[in-house]
Amino acid sequence: MTTQYPVLTEGPEPGLPRPDRASGAVAPSPGPAWDGPTYYGRAQLKPAPFENAVVGGYIFLAGLSGSSAILAAIAQATRGEEAGPLVRRARYTALLAPTLGSALLIYDLHTPSRFYTMLRVAKATSPMSIGTWILMGFSGCAILTAAAQFAGDRGVAPRAAGVVARLAGWPAAVLGAGLSTYTASLLAATSTPLWAAAPRALAVRFGASSMAAGAAALALAETDAPTRRRLETLTAAALAVELAGDAAAALAYRRTGVAPATRGRAGRVERFGAVGLGVVLPLGLYAARHWRDRAGRPEDGRALSVAAGLAVLAGSALLRVAVMGAGDDSAARPDVSFRFSQPDNLPPGL
Amino acid sequence: MPVREGVVTIVQESRFQLVGDDGSAHLFILGRNAAGEADQLAPLQRRQARVRVEYARTRNLIGFVAEKISVCGESGR
Amino acid sequence: MTMHPRAADFPQSDLPGVIPHESELTAGVRIEPGRSYGFFTDTTVCIGCKACEVACKEWNNLPADNLGLTGHSYDNTGALSANTWRHVAFVETSGCGGVRDTVEAPFQSGWLMMSDVCKHCHNAPCLEACPTGALFKTEFDTVVVQQDICNGCGYCVPACPFGVVDVSPVDGKAHKCTLCYDRLKGGLEPACAKACPTDSIQFGELSVLQARAEERVAVLHERGVPGAYLYGTPGAPGATGDLGHLNAFFLLTARPEVYNLPAAPTRPANRVAPSLASGLAAVAGLAVAAAFLLGASDRRRS
Repeated sequence: MTTQYPVLTEGPEPGLPRPDRASGAVAPSPGPAWDGPTYYGRAQLKPAPFENAVVGGYIFLAGLSGSSAILAAIAQATRGEEAGPLVRRARYTALLAPTLGSALLIYDLHTPSRFYTMLRVAKATSPMSIGTWILMGFSGCAILTAAAQFAGDRGVAPRAAGVVARLAGWPAAVLGAGLSTYTASLLAATSTPLWAAAPRALAVRFGASSMAAGAAALALAETDAPTRRRLETLTAAALAVELAGDAAAALAYRRTGVAPATRGRAGRVERFGAVGLGVVLPLGLYAARHWRDRAGRPEDGRALSVAAGLAVLAGSALLRVAVMGAGDDSAARPDVSFRFSQPDNLPPGL
Repeated sequence: MPVREGVVTIVQESRFQLVGDDGSAHLFILGRNAAGEADQLAPLQRRQARVRVEYARTRNLIGFVAEKISVCGESGR
Repeated sequence: MTMHPRAADFPQSDLPGVIPHESELTAGVRIEPGRSYGFFTDTTVCIGCKACEVACKEWNNLPADNLGLTGHSYDNTGALSANTWRHVAFVETSGCGGVRDTVEAPFQSGWLMMSDVCKHCHNAPCLEACPTGALFKTEFDTVVVQQDICNGCGYCVPACPFGVVDVSPVDGKAHKCTLCYDRLKGGLEPACAKACPTDSIQFGELSVLQARAEERVAVLHERGVPGAYLYGTPGAPGATGDLGHLNAFFLLTARPEVYNLPAAPTRPANRVAPSLASGLAAVAGLAVAAAFLLGASDRRRS
């Protein structure tokens, strides 16, 4: 009954580019999570048929746009006219998700011509449905805000345009918070072990990474030095929260037994690219910049700031793509999925 | 693109069976980019109309991908 | 099984049409909308003939896929997929290291065979995940993908805790077992259950099947198969984590993992709220920090 079968390393033929996952037996990477029987080492789950670079790219853009809308509203409310250029840039950055992001989402559908069927229902149990409506609402508000900003800048009814931009900016900010985080619950509300193992930590990571990316992008373009400092401090705070989320996720992965799935290529990208390059390195660079400020050489720190900002943006994008890839690894590995679906991982009370 | 003519004898969702003049039956799947929707297939089966299917081969599957279906004697649909 | 009295009304080989309520004659159940139907798959009587796989492909006009040999015992189907809605798993329990024993103990089978299928979960994760409403609960309490609505987003694929649903790269839509929705509407028993020669696959009303399955487990325990248990009935393995029950449930004699089934699957939709709430809390916290940082009076400038 507990016979160990040799693990299949090759299917009957090499996989398809978007693999027909029926033939998707894979060779488990090091570190078995489950030492009980498996069915010839075949996958028990099917990995999500998403293009990771496309959907990961969308998640990054959604986070960047969402947090930009939040920062636009906050900067407008707290600084008013003084923060005009910052608010303008933030409102335009918020257009990334409605434009490029939506296009990426539709591209990833297997029947793109039917994208509109997403709009026939609204479901609280489906984060993809929740996200569709968040994206629709956000797009409306963000486009209205940006249009009003544009009109105001061009001198078309500047007072009315300012009011419209402020009024539409608040719902955009609230929906932007949803846009930055719903993508984490979209991944968590699946049966893919790695995504399901740490629903809360994943959402904190995605949310904080979105804020960090938004603040870093705005800091990169900011010309006013004191404002830039503040945006960089905000980036560092968001990175600290993300780091805490990373640690919480790593603990949850170890506790639920899905950690072996993070030892593949995607897991390495996540560790070194998302956390190393995207969080630890910029935190160090910001610390170095702060130290130079203290030493009275603020202009030396500009290069450090730029490097840190670029690293944050790259890390934020890598985080999404790597988490998706590592999730696919975890679904393809029966040892990981069987370990995860043991009764000790059931939520309490169920 | 290869072409096959015959009568649609079975329709299930987007899959249909085409029986040619030589009596050989082939399974076709309406492609994702095909001109036409799956619900247009059932009427073809009921009418037992002669159709012309432009198709492509598939990999790892005993079946063809129908890219364009036209009723013989009419223009493309 | 005794003959249904109505079966005597149809003695001829050539029937003028479909027998009304044919399922009464073949499965002993009348199919009526509004009631729950499902499969009880008793793996102890499965002989691995794959008639269910063939019947499914024939009725649903599904193409043969996954061509070639896997080397996994007699299982060359591999797994459920967009074009394979029944899959017979073969496990050889005698021998070790993948080498089959050359002799078999008398009257003992060294085989475990199980015809796997979509479980038609009560709280179906694929249905809950579907953002288009293409997946729906039918009047027979089964879960079906409406092909004219599905846009191939593929979110149902990772949602399924059993790895059943699959998106076909050929037509770009999600596919899975429909529990022969078209046959049920016509009063016919699903093709796989009708084709099963040993009644390993039994179709019927869920409560009746569950009672029958309990009885079968008791009988097996009595006959000396202490390892027999149900997978997917309320409270049993497979129906854990708020999934409710599975409309297609199984009688197994080895660990679920042996048959490539999860021991304790969960309902993914339960993770939406905690995840969304924690993410929003993190962003809200950082937004407050942003308000303080950006709003603080500028000491350097003043």
